[in-house]
Amino acid sequence: MTGVRTPAATGQPAQREPQPGGPRRTGGTPAAPFGVLGWARWVWRQLTSMRTALVLLFLLAVASVPGSVLPQEGIDPQAVQQYYVAHPSLAPLLARLSLFSVFAAPWFAAIYLLLFASLAGCVIPRTFRLAGSARQQPPRAPANLSRLPLTARYETALAPDEALAAAAALLAGKRFRLRTGDGWVAAEKGYLREAGNLLFHLALLGVLVAVCVGGMFGYKANRLLVVGDSFANTATDLDAFHPGRAVSATDLQPFTITLGKFEASYVTSGALRGQPSRFDALIRYSAQPGAPMHGYQLRVNHPLAVDGVRVFLIGHGYAPVFRVTDGTGRVVFDGPVPFIAVEQAGLTSEGVIKVPDAHPQQLGFAGVFLPTAVDVGGKLGSAFPAPLNPAVSLVSYAGNLGMDSGPAQSVYQLDTSGLRQLPIRPRPLAPGQSMKLPDGDGTLTFTGYRQWISLAITYDPGTLPALIAGMTALAGLLLSFFVRRRRMFVRAAAAPGGRTVVELGGLARSDAAGGFESEFATLSGEISSAHQARAPAVLEQGPGPGPSGPPAADDPTEGE
Amino acid sequence: MPINEGMANLSHYAFVATVVAYALAVLAFACDFAFGRDALGPLRPAQQPAADLVAVGAPPASPGAGTPPPGPAPGPPPPGPGPAVTPAGAGAGREAGRLGLWVRVAIGLTALGLAAHILGVISRGLAVHRVPWGDMYEFVTTVTCVAVIFFFVLMIRYRAYRLGLFVLGPVVILLGLAETVIYTPAGQLPPALQSYWLAIHVTSITLATGAFVVAALLAVVYLLADRHDRRAAAGQPTRSGAIFRILPAPKVIDQLAYRTVVFGFPLWTFGIIAGAIWADEAWGRYWGWDPTETWAFITWVVYAGYLHARATAGWRGRKSAWIQLIGFGCLLFNTIVVSILIKGLHSYAGLS
Repeated sequence: MTGVRTPAATGQPAQREPQPGGPRRTGGTPAAPFGVLGWARWVWRQLTSMRTALVLLFLLAVASVPGSVLPQEGIDPQAVQQYYVAHPSLAPLLARLSLFSVFAAPWFAAIYLLLFASLAGCVIPRTFRLAGSARQQPPRAPANLSRLPLTARYETALAPDEALAAAAALLAGKRFRLRTGDGWVAAEKGYLREAGNLLFHLALLGVLVAVCVGGMFGYKANRLLVVGDSFANTATDLDAFHPGRAVSATDLQPFTITLGKFEASYVTSGALRGQPSRFDALIRYSAQPGAPMHGYQLRVNHPLAVDGVRVFLIGHGYAPVFRVTDGTGRVVFDGPVPFIAVEQAGLTSEGVIKVPDAHPQQLGFAGVFLPTAVDVGGKLGSAFPAPLNPAVSLVSYAGNLGMDSGPAQSVYQLDTSGLRQLPIRPRPLAPGQSMKLPDGDGTLTFTGYRQWISLAITYDPGTLPALIAGMTALAGLLLSFFVRRRRMFVRAAAAPGGRTVVELGGLARSDAAGGFESEFATLSGEISSAHQARAPAVLEQGPGPGPSGPPAADDPTEGE
Repeated sequence: MPINEGMANLSHYAFVATVVAYALAVLAFACDFAFGRDALGPLRPAQQPAADLVAVGAPPASPGAGTPPPGPAPGPPPPGPGPAVTPAGAGAGREAGRLGLWVRVAIGLTALGLAAHILGVISRGLAVHRVPWGDMYEFVTTVTCVAVIFFFVLMIRYRAYRLGLFVLGPVVILLGLAETVIYTPAGQLPPALQSYWLAIHVTSITLATGAFVVAALLAVVYLLADRHDRRAAAGQPTRSGAIFRILPAPKVIDQLAYRTVVFGFPLWTFGIIAGAIWADEAWGRYWGWDPTETWAFITWVVYAGYLHARATAGWRGRKSAWIQLIGFGCLLFNTIVVSILIKGLHSYAGLS
């Protein structure tokens, strides 16, 4: 993350001034400074500069914010509809700006594509340069080592050549790259840092590619399943189906699932009373029609994998069962109706029953299901999410449900525009109880309840590539932070009295995590020990002149 | 498995003891500023020996050691006379060997509080038979514990004792809030959190957050110290100058902050990746722009911006410190506003 991005000779690429055409303009005469090529190069330089990358990074961050604040189509379409109802004039405007689908918006894509172009434009040339420098030698030792951030100095009885050879051997043993000259040894190590930095950035590109693969070839679907029911993984039998761009309905894996039983357990006492503690769905499935059925205990965090597709338990609720007899005495409705929880503490759930076959007029009901019905000051509520005292309370309507014309209706909403509320006071019904409608319109019986689960079905071939790219990015990050590119210099010169003065200097060109000081101290100690071991008699030396140079160059910016 | 009430109580009392010990430590740090040895001491030398970071590996100054340690010579000491290593002002750490009484008292209290803090976290975990960071209360108590551990290491390693006031002060406030406002009794986790990924994902996020807390506090101290220095250099009057005279130099504080972020950022990255793996296993997609995910991403992007800014001429110093603080602001927003107020898949705060 912290490398220098562009090959500017100054080493400060971000400060480059825009220079249309640049100094090495090709094509055109020198009098035409703004040729097409020049402009293209200028734009490319701007795009790949660190400053632009920084601005794009912040734009990306800012652009993500509305996606977390406004409801999003891809996450909660119902919330978007509620937003339309609550803000009828503002919502269309926001929709025009794609603010209800920020992460699929063209302007969002523009930002991250520009960012990745900037990144590629910087990282790919650097990769070639790193490859080119694989056999490069360290630089020559500076004339005056005492100017380096870290220095050491002592005398030894060894001859200068022997002292240098000993130091070089020691550094070579530590896998430093060496270069020797007249009276000096230069050593460098830590090229992996730049490699890690590049790996990190390239892996980010890999993540983007993996996400695209998933978006092209994967699909997502949802299905609500009442206990006892089955469904097949076909586009028509799914509640919501979001295929990738390259997926058609015939590509779906043809498995079937039957929900045998669902159990939810809740904390029954203490401060967390009512909090769910366990969900268990016992399902049976077959990979394709005619294949043998298998049992599976589907739980949260324990998806079912079938034929490369995974099935997740993501929700649950109650489906009260109703039997409706119409004015002519016929049973025109008999079955479970999934209600949706509107609060979690007691799982009070709302739903509607539509009876289009009723005569003389169509019937509709809207109301609540209360798993543990309690009367709090005349107001009905549910005290616990488990069905300890289940009850329903319904408002009844008669008239035209409006299902034969107009746009498709939600099964969870009643269009009351063609309906008339029946003059019957809603009262809680216990299982088995009935409600007789006025004027001989019929009877509704609350016969009992079943539970339902909602399943998410996903197929994403980009998952594994994304994981590999993510872990590679992390590895690159760690390398670039914790490997330091550092140089050691040794100079040895004969001093009066037959002694040899050894000078050591250290320079860390990148030391993000710190610690070169102690490595330098250790290395210096080892080199002096090596000299010590070969030359028994050494004079005691006081501290050297101790020039306190600039602080250790652990700014990752130094160099390159 | 039922909650172990004895352990839950022990945890609660341990946290109370922690708050008391930290509060006293804050008091001692403040007394050091007010009455400590350096309180009326000489001005910071104009030529700052930018060396407070240097004494790596040197033994922590023992109380009463009159002289600075003879230079950093870690690892196996060279036999016989070693080289006179002079890494940029070695041993010149101003605080080396002259820790005042108040600082020593404060460090002792911090250590005591930290021990109680760790005991509190561990006993909470034993009470609920899982890693003790499943709700907001547990998250705050653990994050502060990580932050203090982190600071303790920085303090010992880089001798940044006097920054204690700035770190422990906010920690006391956070812990106090945790025990009063957002206290949640020990309990079982909902099914969505019953996964070993809780230990992996939340642990790394917690560690990273602890590091980012310390880094942000350091950034604030840096900005204040830098402002003081610039005003002083311009000959303008400065308020509360005495404090900055005895703090490490701004550049040193900035570097400490940077190294802390360098530690926290890979952890945060890993936390996001682990979270993605868990999301893939729990919800069927590794990334879904859930509000918490979005803000984790924003936080990551801003800290990445900080790391790049610090490597870009013209953005170093104050500018990058501000970017770091913006990143921390995003982190706080995610922890507090998003997880409590914005409905999403990550709404596990346990507060209603």
